Amino acid sequence: MITLSDFLFLLQGVPVTLSISLLSFALGFIIGIPIAVVRQIAPLELTVVAEGYEKVMRGIPVLVFMLFLHFGLAGIVPIFKDSFISSVVALGLRSGAYQSQIFRGAINSVGRDQMRAAISLGMTRTQAFRHIILPQAFIVALPGLGSEIALLIKDSSYSFVLGVLDLTKYSDILRKATKSFIIPYLTAAILYILMTFPIANYLDRWGSRLKTKYGLR
Amino acid sequence: MADVVLACEGLKKAYGDLMVLKGINFKIEKGQTKVIIGPSGSGKSTFLRVIGLLEPPTDGKVFFEGQDVYSSDMDLNMVRAKIGFVFQEPSLFRHLTALDNVKIGLKVVLGMSEEEATEKAMETLRLVHLEEWAHHYPAQLSGGQQQRVGIARALAMDPDILLFDEPTASLDIELTWEVIDVMKELAEREVTMLVVTHEIGFAKEVADEILFMDDGKFLEWGPPEKVLRNPSTPRAREFLSRLLGGV
Ligand SMILES: Nc1ncnc2c1ncn2[C@@H]1O[C@H](COP(=O)(O)OP(=O)(O)O)[C@@H](O)[C@H]1O
Ligand SMILES: [Mg+2]
Repeated sequence: MITLSDFLFLLQGVPVTLSISLLSFALGFIIGIPIAVVRQIAPLELTVVAEGYEKVMRGIPVLVFMLFLHFGLAGIVPIFKDSFISSVVALGLRSGAYQSQIFRGAINSVGRDQMRAAISLGMTRTQAFRHIILPQAFIVALPGLGSEIALLIKDSSYSFVLGVLDLTKYSDILRKATKSFIIPYLTAAILYILMTFPIANYLDRWGSRLKTKYGLR
Repeated sequence: MADVVLACEGLKKAYGDLMVLKGINFKIEKGQTKVIIGPSGSGKSTFLRVIGLLEPPTDGKVFFEGQDVYSSDMDLNMVRAKIGFVFQEPSLFRHLTALDNVKIGLKVVLGMSEEEATEKAMETLRLVHLEEWAHHYPAQLSGGQQQRVGIARALAMDPDILLFDEPTASLDIELTWEVIDVMKELAEREVTMLVVTHEIGFAKEVADEILFMDDGKFLEWGPPEKVLRNPSTPRAREFLSRLLGGV
């Protein structure tokens, strides 16, 4: 069994893990929506850029990206000397690519009749996206966004390599201090599940409830 | 001469190699109701979408209140705001209540304040007898109610013309009546309407003119009695005899 004091020690990593995950999720959200919309309505050149971004971001292992920012780019962009920021930015930029895909699928599921009806009222395409398409797409996207947050919570553990004091790092410290190999990692694993499962599950159910209410597919 | 609201000249529309509209001349004046009938696939919906500025023509001109829409520097969105559209499939915004469906165009396109838009929207919902359903979402409304909200959504914008694309084609018979009744009330109030429908009772009662479309052209047009009773082309005769279930 883990002692209470060891457990409390481990718990200190939880807020850091959650901040990295949620901040990178927010960054990914801010990047993902415009990219998804650009891929729907922008001229071809911009679409190619957006598509390229997605391909590149999905192709790089996130750990390599973190190391690149923190140890490579930090020489030119000093802000990346901060390992927390490097972690958030690397995870966030990659998440932008994934979230863009989630939103693109969701936007496509909303149906052309909605865009046509909005245009018939005299809305511009941008207004139609803002008021009609995106609010519905967001609901359809909720389960996908839930999985994405879960992924970020797990992948935030890579930040341990940069020296961020997250849950993984604390469990590693505890392993060294107690010479117990199983308990610290096992406890950390359980804590990860306790973070990922409720969030993903909640967004999934919230999405289903709204879908039923609005009769969305 | 009366005011022509919407007109077209030599209107053509092709999708790839498929020529759907083959050179159409048409006009409708303020206060008129015109009904388009014709076989499925003849181009009726395409005609409404093109003349309603939802799709550009391949060739020919569209005039809104005398102005050539595509060669002048008119703001297309502002013209679209003046042309109301009711679609075959109820296309209400599914994340908005009936009231908000009617309000959204007023606020976003016409820039009305929240209070103004609410008042106008409620007033319009009353016209389609749905004020009690204002706070329901589309998924909670019957098909007929959804179509009436759709009419209110278009009507609230104070359009100069309303276009209907088979608004009752996907409805059960009782629901058809409630929608048709609302449309008749609009015709009595001299709302300008261009309606694709096969509700012949409606056409007989309110249409100033019936146009028969076949294969991307109007083959025949005239007052209801003439077109329905005494069609001059064999295609129209055949279509009408099947539509009216005659011998
Ligand atoms: N967006 C489109 N792309 C390709 N073909 C289309 C499109 N819309 C309509 N068509 C074709 O145009 C023809 C006329 O269709 P439509 O205008 O819907 O006829 P109607 O409303 O009289 O049934 C059909 O052959 C249809 O397949
Ligand atoms: Mg049609």
